[in-house]
Amino acid sequence: MKMGMVIDLEKCIGCRSCMVACKQHNAQPPQTWWNRVFTPGSHRHLTPPAKGVEFFLPVHCQHCENAPCEKVCPVGATYHAEDGAVLIDYERCIGCRYCMSACPYGVRQFNWEDPAKAHQRSEYQEQYHYGYPEDHRHEGRLVYMPLRPKGIVEKCTFCAQYRDKGELPACVRGCPGKARFVGDLDDPDSDVSTMMKGRNAFTLLPEKGTKPTVFYLPPKAKEV
Amino acid sequence: MSVKMRIGLLFSGALFLVAIAAWIYQLKEGLILTNMQNSYSWGLYISGLAFFVGNAAGGLVLTSSIYLFGVKKLKPLAKLGALTAFANVTAAMLIVLPDIGKPIRLYNMLLHPNWMSPLVWDVIVLNLYAVASALYLYILMLPELTGRLAWLAIKVDDPQAFSERWAKRFAPVALLFAIGIHVVTSWIFSTQGARDWWFSPVMAPDFVSVAIAVGTTVVLVAAALAYGTGDSYQEAYRTLGLIIFMATCVHIFLMANDLAIHAWYGNAEAHRIMDVAWGDFGLAHVFEVAAPLLGSWLLMRSQILRSLPRLLLSSGLLIAGVFVHRFLIMPAAYNNIPMTMTPFGLPDSHWSLPIASGRFLPGMSTFLDQYAYFPSLVEAVILIGIMAYAVFLVLLAVARLPILHKERI
Repeated sequence: MKMGMVIDLEKCIGCRSCMVACKQHNAQPPQTWWNRVFTPGSHRHLTPPAKGVEFFLPVHCQHCENAPCEKVCPVGATYHAEDGAVLIDYERCIGCRYCMSACPYGVRQFNWEDPAKAHQRSEYQEQYHYGYPEDHRHEGRLVYMPLRPKGIVEKCTFCAQYRDKGELPACVRGCPGKARFVGDLDDPDSDVSTMMKGRNAFTLLPEKGTKPTVFYLPPKAKEV
Repeated sequence: MSVKMRIGLLFSGALFLVAIAAWIYQLKEGLILTNMQNSYSWGLYISGLAFFVGNAAGGLVLTSSIYLFGVKKLKPLAKLGALTAFANVTAAMLIVLPDIGKPIRLYNMLLHPNWMSPLVWDVIVLNLYAVASALYLYILMLPELTGRLAWLAIKVDDPQAFSERWAKRFAPVALLFAIGIHVVTSWIFSTQGARDWWFSPVMAPDFVSVAIAVGTTVVLVAAALAYGTGDSYQEAYRTLGLIIFMATCVHIFLMANDLAIHAWYGNAEAHRIMDVAWGDFGLAHVFEVAAPLLGSWLLMRSQILRSLPRLLLSSGLLIAGVFVHRFLIMPAAYNNIPMTMTPFGLPDSHWSLPIASGRFLPGMSTFLDQYAYFPSLVEAVILIGIMAYAVFLVLLAVARLPILHKERI
């Protein structure tokens, strides 16, 4: 089993629902976003950089097979789970932020202060709590906490807390355009494998040799 | 102990204590007290690591000159070399601590080391080099550990011969660790394929050459302050000056070579690197080149080497230039977002994906692709305090241990 994700850019409408679902379900502190959707070529989201050229790009952890973040981690806090997801052990991370420099996709986020203080600083309403409410262990390692300790790094887990219950990641469930798919890349007949073959799937920054397991299906040119 | 020495110890000791207090404050509040954020995740502390590692090269230069190349006139400075090496390599390890988000968990490096991580290798070589420098210093001091220091001495028949023999045997081993700290520290950066600015094989030899230049300058400053600028050590100083100048030239050559190749290829990433290195930080770049060149050129002239203020000023120029060089490790790496693409249908455009800052930055968007980093007060206080620690340690050792050559004590 090698889990992978396919994102169909033809179906992505740039609504950022996946960003918000991800942020809320994973209790990300203010200014922390595991998942980002932007309009390539444009400084303003949802504004075409040129007439007829308009597509959106969601980017989160690419769960690379040759993950530089995992290789540089001095304490093995970042590791590959048995299904191929790259996870961070919140109990082991020392917060050196080496992985943040090493990741070419800019998906790793640091807890610069206690999340409770960050909530105050950003003037969130008191008693406003969001996200999956319990700590979650995957293979015995702590990979999710609703309130993160300050000084550790976090990122997309493919929603380990939901997958372990047989549910899909929040971004997949929350996508109104049904642009996201999760499946087994090792199985040539799985939906994701079929889609990739039929639609010229590509990965981000292939020249970096990171071998992502997140694949994108190219959009068609728009008719204006 | 002289009054000057007392003042020096008090002043540097006080600065170090202030830095410890600042670190405790930062431990309590988090790294929010620094001016780093997610897209600019290393700053003054890690630049400080590279700076102190470079300064620690003095021991390497003196040991290898004396025992491998037979430059006997440098022998009276050997202990100062080992001492400044120890002070700076321990300072290098200290400056990493405030950069760590959860320093209390550092034991994980022992329990679960990831042998693929260059940071693990660096911790190993830095520790080995610290131990080697301390041992080497001890061997060199052994014949003079008499009187009130006799309890420190191991019992051997002929301490003088023992010291000489073991210093010679030890020299190649110490040299290996010494080269190791510069090479491995450079690998922390140059193994990162994500960052075009760092991903270059020239970084390791460049780190070695900068280190030889600045580490030797540190020994020269220590020697001039301890022994003055009279006739007795002029020959040794001239040799050091020559080493400093040659190493600086090699460093400038390696750096220019790297920049020239980036500029020549001229892809979008290289343009971005040039925009930062030669544009935003153009003045700093001129300084990082001109100051070490001018400083090291002056340090070859006998009028300079014979006047303490001029020698200190020229050395200061070089050290400041190298410090700026270390600071400039970061901007061209972090203000060049690796996640870029040429959007479909826009073959001429080059677009970077902004990164969430992870912290509240008044007046700034949460998503950044550019960030003008300047160290915060806490970062500056901690760095200055660690510099003061190195000075304190050297002064204390000179005051208490037989570091200086006998005729002058």
